[in-house]
Amino acid sequence: MNPYAESRRRLKPLDVVILSVVAAVVAFFFYKVNSVLAYEWDWSVIPRYLLRRDEESGALAPNLFVLGLLTTIRLAIWSLVLSAIIGGIMGVMRTSRRLFPRLLSRTYVELVRNTPPLVFIFVFYFFISSQIMPLLGVDALVTDASPVTATIIEWVASPPKLFENFLAGVICLSLFSGAYVTEIVRAGIQSIPRAQIEAGASIGLTRLKIMRLVVLPQALQRVIPPLAGQFIILIKDSSLVSLISIQELTFYALDIAVSTTRVFEVWIFVGALYFVICYACALVFDWLERRGQVYR
Amino acid sequence: MSPEPTASPAPSQGRTAPPAPTGRTRWWRSRAFDVIQFLVLGGGVVWLAVHGAAAMGYNWQWYRMPRFFWRVIDGELIWGPLMTGLAVTVELSIYAMVLTLAIGLVTALLRMSDSISGQILAKVYLEAIRNTPMLVQLLVFYFVIAPVVGIERFWTGVLCLGVFEGAFASEIIRAGINSVPRGQWEASASIGLKRLHTYRLVVLPQAVPLMLPPMTGVLINLIKHSAIVSVIAVFELTTEGRNIIADTFMSFEVWLTVAGVYLVITCSLSVVVGHLERRVARKD
Repeated sequence: MNPYAESRRRLKPLDVVILSVVAAVVAFFFYKVNSVLAYEWDWSVIPRYLLRRDEESGALAPNLFVLGLLTTIRLAIWSLVLSAIIGGIMGVMRTSRRLFPRLLSRTYVELVRNTPPLVFIFVFYFFISSQIMPLLGVDALVTDASPVTATIIEWVASPPKLFENFLAGVICLSLFSGAYVTEIVRAGIQSIPRAQIEAGASIGLTRLKIMRLVVLPQALQRVIPPLAGQFIILIKDSSLVSLISIQELTFYALDIAVSTTRVFEVWIFVGALYFVICYACALVFDWLERRGQVYR
Repeated sequence: MSPEPTASPAPSQGRTAPPAPTGRTRWWRSRAFDVIQFLVLGGGVVWLAVHGAAAMGYNWQWYRMPRFFWRVIDGELIWGPLMTGLAVTVELSIYAMVLTLAIGLVTALLRMSDSISGQILAKVYLEAIRNTPMLVQLLVFYFVIAPVVGIERFWTGVLCLGVFEGAFASEIIRAGINSVPRGQWEASASIGLKRLHTYRLVVLPQAVPLMLPPMTGVLINLIKHSAIVSVIAVFELTTEGRNIIADTFMSFEVWLTVAGVYLVITCSLSVVVGHLERRVARKD
């Protein structure tokens, strides 16, 4: 351990240097923005695009920022569910005794982890939207849906008109994040001591039953904290699907920044919004994990 | 995993003996069969993709791909857009890696310093990077910071990548420095070394070999993440790929080729990481 980190806390010469550098950077930023670029700050765009007055009823309604944020969160939740399924299957295959399932899941994981997320999403978007979607017939399914189903779809996923697009985004994200979940599940399964498996075998359980009754219940407990972390990663990665025109927070932010030309305000706000959500999630998950350990 | 229950011959007393294990593995249990299964499945998936796309009216034109790498005209070699794009990707990654190391080192030292504002600054930086999407960071850099500082797109990309990966590098550096046992610090203090000399002569020579494998991992991530600067139209590999698609409409061929180029680079670097890791493990 580095002993210097533990010395007493009071203002040191280094503090003075750091504080003056920070102050200089902030001052430079505002000087440049206000005097050189002559930028007119106008923060009123933010509340205007958070909520709007409905033209007919005059009631407050969510505007683009809120709609985008909700889509981002829905994307993250559905992708987490789907990638947990993919990762669960692939993770079990990854620890299999047979070579075939191991080869299969290893190929999947390495292919995903070694291509840039952006390129992966483009490849799969073209593939999914041109081949899988017509095959599933989602479009017909949504247009033929009853009003009740349409409302449900609107609440849990996206407006029916954009549902096909939304689904493509979810599939892209979950195929991508599934590879990371695979590794999480593999680590969870492999963290179960061998003795547990041998004990299961010694009381005459079959391999399937050992997996179902002994390994998986214990592995599940260890998999949940990293899965919560994966949710935060998904909220962040979901910004990438704005590039395939899925209308989530980043997509709308690009839109608003262009249409209002209030570029600085919009991007600073959106960055801060993502930060608040992800950081809050991290704090909550941390707290839950610690509480879980106390009660165990 | 558990031993196969049927593989253990139970001593039979009075009852009929269970079938004796045959000694040789059955053909469907052999590894070769597993590999064949895998190849058949992989071939099936590729066939389905190719055939399915063709059935949807997609015209495969792989023969047009090579000239986007290079062409030979009158005995003269002309690099195609994919190769020039790759060169820009590599250039971008190298500059960004230097920046990453610098930012990582400064942040790690600030976090381990005894200055409270240094620790807070480092912590704020780390949390800000970890809790915002990289795309949003890039857009903030492009729309807010670049006009203020007055830098062009390429350097905006370098700056963004460096700042992003710097957060991860700093954790690696910190872990490496903290892994040097306390006794080493005390020993150097006892022979009267100043803090700078302790770092330079005692700590870093021991910490750096430990940091090398994960740092190469950062370089791999950097090359992967550099694809994102195509959003601000820096002419690297992904942007060139998009341009070719805009010209030729060969989306599948181009995206698969671009992904393949990235795969080749990152996989070969992964091999290097494995080699480095084994070397560190052998030293212990």
